[in-house]
Amino acid sequence: MTDSRPDGAVEAHDRPDTARRFGWIDRDLLAVVVGGTAVVAVATTLQLSFGSYDLSPTAAWRTLLDPAVLFDTAAWRAFLLGATVPDFATGTLVVWTIRLPRVVLAVLVGANLAVSGAILQAITRNELASPFVLGVSSGAGLAVLLTIVLFAGLLPLLPLFAAVGGGVAFLLVYAIAWQGGTSPVRLVLAGVIVSSVFGSVQTGLFLLIEDIGLVRSVIAWTTGSLVGADWAAVRMILPWSLLSLALALVGARELDVLTLGERTASSLGMRVEAVRFALSGVAVLAAAASVAAAGIVGFVGLVVPHIVRRIVGSDHRRLLVGCLFAGPALMAAADAGARLALSPAQLPVGIVTGLVGGPYFLYLMRKHGEFGGL
Amino acid sequence: MAPKLEATDLVLQYPSGDRPVIDGESVAIAPGRVTALVGPNGSGKSTLLRGLADQLPPRAGQVLLDGRAVHRLGDRELARELGLLEQEPSAPDGLTVERLAYHGRYPHRGRFDPVGDDDVRAVERALSLAGVDDLRDRPLGDLSGGQRRLAWLAMALAQDPDVLLLDEPTTFLDLRHQLAVMDAIERRRDEAGTTVVLVLHDIEQAARYADAMVVLSDGAVHAHGDPESVLTPAMLAEVFGVEATVEPGPHGPQVVPLGPDGGG
Repeated sequence: MTDSRPDGAVEAHDRPDTARRFGWIDRDLLAVVVGGTAVVAVATTLQLSFGSYDLSPTAAWRTLLDPAVLFDTAAWRAFLLGATVPDFATGTLVVWTIRLPRVVLAVLVGANLAVSGAILQAITRNELASPFVLGVSSGAGLAVLLTIVLFAGLLPLLPLFAAVGGGVAFLLVYAIAWQGGTSPVRLVLAGVIVSSVFGSVQTGLFLLIEDIGLVRSVIAWTTGSLVGADWAAVRMILPWSLLSLALALVGARELDVLTLGERTASSLGMRVEAVRFALSGVAVLAAAASVAAAGIVGFVGLVVPHIVRRIVGSDHRRLLVGCLFAGPALMAAADAGARLALSPAQLPVGIVTGLVGGPYFLYLMRKHGEFGGL
Repeated sequence: MAPKLEATDLVLQYPSGDRPVIDGESVAIAPGRVTALVGPNGSGKSTLLRGLADQLPPRAGQVLLDGRAVHRLGDRELARELGLLEQEPSAPDGLTVERLAYHGRYPHRGRFDPVGDDDVRAVERALSLAGVDDLRDRPLGDLSGGQRRLAWLAMALAQDPDVLLLDEPTTFLDLRHQLAVMDAIERRRDEAGTTVVLVLHDIEQAARYADAMVVLSDGAVHAHGDPESVLTPAMLAEVFGVEATVEPGPHGPQVVPLGPDGGG
């Protein structure tokens, strides 16, 4: 079939950037990676230094880079596998077992939400999509709350329950919005409907909790909070996060082709329904893991993919890698603000992301008169 | 040798429709030729095209590609041999022409395969055939409607199928871009022996460029053959409801419409 085609030699400059092995890593993406890392580093410095046990930034970093901890297998066994923490000095314990896990958790949650949002935006071809808007967060949140209130013994499986809840909510939203296809506006409206119903049920559940202290922490959690984050929370979501982030990167080309539309993707030989289902599953898992650890943090999954797309373009390999750095940056910075702005009082981090994300959402709506098409 | 595409007793119906759009039609497409599907609005042209591309599962009958039923072929396997370009596809505005063309290589590449020499060759060939070489780094959002259509055509050509199905590739384009599209299609047929089936709105354009015409009327094949034999005043009156004369011209038959049929 190609016989009659003149076969010119392929020269190096004929290849697009994206065809070379690392050619897809361009300046814009590097800027996001370096910028994101820098923001996380600054936020880490603040988080490790300030608090009731004050440390200077240098002391904080010296403690963090202390070889006695860094190369201590017993310490890592404690952090990652839940063994007993060895005897360290107070400063070391504060940095390593109280403040660092909070930063690590913020990084994981930020990456999960951003990647989840990027996937959902691609498969719905809607730049207003995010786990929060599409009801995934509220579904996962309800499942988490039910688990906490009714099946306290099953806490280690929290991310899985959250994923089931998030998946059910997402399917509901999709079913409500479906009329031989979906439109951005219908999806958002369906998301609002499902979220408010699930939200009511959540609030109703509060009445079943008798311990007032628990109610307070549950309310903080429903707005998204990293208060009390510890290595146990990191251990709980780390495997699910790594799994979903890896699967997302593997699916980058599928996401690219899906943004060309269902029909084009199908005539290019993609089994659209199966691929879309699988990728939704990945997005739901990522969002659910973050909900299980940090509650319902709004806007990160919406805003981060959007900002990153502005910088690196619509290629999903770049977009997802950018999200892996920008998501943690937003989340770590927001959490530093939430913990330190009104110190000693702590805000739920979701309040800060809401204060940043809400106006951005508004700006999106204003800018695109006809809103939402990717 | 280009493969043979044929439909036998094909019944096509949309899930939401209450009656078949195409009801038990058979048509054999000439291999290595350009075949135009023409007919009035709502006669089932696009539906038949989607049916031929296995994008709409038949209620009855089947579509055969070289004797193999297309719905039995794997999705990627079919996409390597048969491509369908929808009428108005859309893509993110930021996507460049070249990257769009590389998406045409999707069915040819395994999940972890890097871009190979054959991918580069197919894309380069497609970009130059469609005449969008110069636009390769431009984002689609910056292009005119005609340029964008050519970019999509480049993607379909990069897919490198033996059978290429195009839904109204020239509709709404200015004359220059219409000519660019038809020229690319003819060169592709001549160079690679590709079988092309396209839906055309313009009967004269069909008569000029197509090797064969299939006239659809209300979901049925009314006539099928070379433009000279198909284009007759009787057919135009019966199918399109226009009174017209047909005169032989240097580039195929020419239609001179006189008015709506039965109006006088």
